[in-house]
Amino acid sequence: MLFRLENVSYRYPDGTLALDGVSLSFEKGERIALLGPNGCGKTTLLLHLNGILKPTSGKVYFEDKPLEYASKSLLNLRRRVGFIFQDPNDQLFAPTVKQDVAFGPLNLGQPIDKVKKSVDEALKTVGMSEYADKPPHFLSLGQKKRVALAGVLAMQPEVLVMDEPTSNLDPRASIEILRLLLRLNQEFGFTLILATHDVDTVPLFANKLYIMSKGKIVLEGSPEEIFSNTELIRSVNLRSPRITHLFEILRRKNHLPVNKKLPLTIGEARKEILWLLNVKMDKKEKVNSA
Amino acid sequence: MSFINLCAQIDRCAYTNALAKSSPTTKVFFALSALILSVSLPSPLVPIIVFLTTTVLLLHFAKIPAHFYSSLLVYPTIIVALSCLIIALFFGYGEPLTAIVLPWFGWTVFKSGVMMGVTTFFRVEGALSCLYFLVLTTPMTDIFITLRRAHMPKILIEMSLLIYRYMFVFMEVAAQMYTAQKLRLGHSSWQKRIRSTALIAGNLFIRTLEQGERTFTAMNSRGYDGNIRTLDDLPQPRRVSFIGIIFFDVILVFVTLLMINLQ
Repeated sequence: MLFRLENVSYRYPDGTLALDGVSLSFEKGERIALLGPNGCGKTTLLLHLNGILKPTSGKVYFEDKPLEYASKSLLNLRRRVGFIFQDPNDQLFAPTVKQDVAFGPLNLGQPIDKVKKSVDEALKTVGMSEYADKPPHFLSLGQKKRVALAGVLAMQPEVLVMDEPTSNLDPRASIEILRLLLRLNQEFGFTLILATHDVDTVPLFANKLYIMSKGKIVLEGSPEEIFSNTELIRSVNLRSPRITHLFEILRRKNHLPVNKKLPLTIGEARKEILWLLNVKMDKKEKVNSA
Repeated sequence: MSFINLCAQIDRCAYTNALAKSSPTTKVFFALSALILSVSLPSPLVPIIVFLTTTVLLLHFAKIPAHFYSSLLVYPTIIVALSCLIIALFFGYGEPLTAIVLPWFGWTVFKSGVMMGVTTFFRVEGALSCLYFLVLTTPMTDIFITLRRAHMPKILIEMSLLIYRYMFVFMEVAAQMYTAQKLRLGHSSWQKRIRSTALIAGNLFIRTLEQGERTFTAMNSRGYDGNIRTLDDLPQPRRVSFIGIIFFDVILVFVTLLMINLQ
């Protein structure tokens, strides 16, 4: 087990109870989404994963060992668990892209040649090589997010923790970020842990879902399992993906014989519609290619 | 908010001009030595030579748009010209140039005063052009690295690094607040303008504290241990250009000596 949280509670100094007895576990190589409305404690939970916050009660285990909060073991943990913040302006503090990406590797005490190599590779992975010498204030938000990601990748972590990776991005930039993350997971085996409230992209991305509300995990499971529970999703101020919602209405109001497992993505919906229209997929394909 | 635009424009110039990639140490050395010589040598000819040289370097070699450079020069020049006019008319001693004598009022303009006004004017213009040379051709990051090479105190460099970066973040925030206030008529009268500006200032102050906290957390996540390390991969200065600059400085001193001898 990569991460295990055991009954973790966290109370901020001002008295707010942000996490209330959270227990969950992540395997290596998984793609996990924490889904919840604003202010439900997602960010607080994530900040426990790299030891920025220490639980008021409960325990965090990394590779079955409890986290140690001494600065040396934290440095090791933070190298392996990369954290990307919601607002890239919080993270990008250096005057140029390259300097910012080099910050992490330099802190690890790597030799200069290796640092330069990691920086180049990280910028190449996120497709920002040509902006290496630009200051961050010349970049768009989507570009800043990618640079923030590169800053973490340059430390060669195994786990990527991202707080709202697609917030405030235009559709294209957000799909590009998601594709990049999926590629990192599939090609390089990164474990991905994401906090989000973008329900439409979650099914494209995650294989495991935790729904949070008021500092608690209220539901966990695969996207299919969770989004079929429409009532509960609504009760925590979230909604199903639009496409799922459409099929649910078609079933409930128009009594269409929709599959019990509602489609979550455009691809699944397309299959469902074709099935409903009684057109075989391969036949349709032939029509398309003709 | 045109001040913000100007800052951003100068910054953009520094990163995109044709000399941006050349050694910052050389540029800093040139600008500083020329600046010191043009304000300290007695002859007004020196700052004139410095001004012409930097202008040629800026316009021809760095390819800074002439209208941008001249727009930067206009306001300081007007202010300096006025001050120097006052120096020329009211200062000085010794040999009078002209005198107005009225029954209740006497006013003498001295030769040395005029000389001083003219010299001061050229000195300021020369120094100004040196600073513009540095600011318009050298990206801020490079200046930080040069300062580090020169063993400036770390704390100063780290602070300026963070200030430089977040200055642009907060300029954007300030511009947004200003627009938001303007849309709700927050700047429609003199009093309202003062009140609204104070509100922006207060708000920005709180925001900076919050931003500081968040940035600190983010830096901690990447293994910050109290030192900001930067990657120094800039070109090392070429010896040829150093010798060239020293040669230029020697010429300036030589010109001064020649002028003194001629007098």
